[in-house]
Amino acid sequence: MDVSPTRKSQSADTGERVARHHLLDRLYHWLMAVATLVLMASAFLPILGVKFQWLEMHWMSGVLLAVLIAIHGVRAVLWQDWRAMMIGVDDGRELCRSFARALGFGGASPALPGKYDAAQKFYHLGMAALVLAVIASGLLMLLKIDTPFWRRDPYWFSGATWGIIYVVHGLAAMAMVTMLMIHVYFALRPDEWYLTRSMLRGWITRKEYSEHHDAARWKA
Amino acid sequence: MQFFRYSKSIYGGQEQLVGASWDLLPWFVAAGAAFIALHALAMALAKARARKTQRQDG
Repeated sequence: MDVSPTRKSQSADTGERVARHHLLDRLYHWLMAVATLVLMASAFLPILGVKFQWLEMHWMSGVLLAVLIAIHGVRAVLWQDWRAMMIGVDDGRELCRSFARALGFGGASPALPGKYDAAQKFYHLGMAALVLAVIASGLLMLLKIDTPFWRRDPYWFSGATWGIIYVVHGLAAMAMVTMLMIHVYFALRPDEWYLTRSMLRGWITRKEYSEHHDAARWKA
Repeated sequence: MQFFRYSKSIYGGQEQLVGASWDLLPWFVAAGAAFIALHALAMALAKARARKTQRQDG
């Protein structure tokens, strides 16, 4: 991570900015958000009674999401510090400490995290599992529709197996609604706003960096 | 409330699983809303406790 001096001070501290998300990662995040919202709208609005031609919109945004996730996976492993998102024993302990303090039980304060805190890592793991389930089942479901690239062939699986594939797709998609609500809630919380701004503009201030992160665990 | 959707073949026979029940969707939304409400409440209480402690110390 690079640190670049700014012309205008964004906070009461030195005005230095710490880069948190590169432009490519921010583009990935917002494209993924658009694809996810289109997928959810085209999936759930017809169920709620809003009738429109949803299928083309749904499979195309699904394929876009699959491509974006594949790019993210390759980029995370080859060019980014994927270990920053890995869950360790410490993260479980820190999460328990945060819960205990939030519920008024006191105890030790959670230690400052690296780039991502324990809750963010667990959230990422849960969302990754759901997205992979929805994409894997969705890609199989593409076998049942005609597209410009292939002809439908619904005989790959038995009726019972298709039923299981549809159950996985439906349950994972509905669980993603819960996760998305939680994500938007945290993004809008005033105490988390500096992270939302970093996903828009790419940086946090030096003051935010030293207040919220352990410099030994995230060297900026 | 049903957890799964089933359909019967036009030729009769056993019911077959065709997907998760969409009746579950409001429950997933409610779970998200419940988490948000509980977290917001816990954070507000924690902030109030911290203010109280600060007043007592200072």
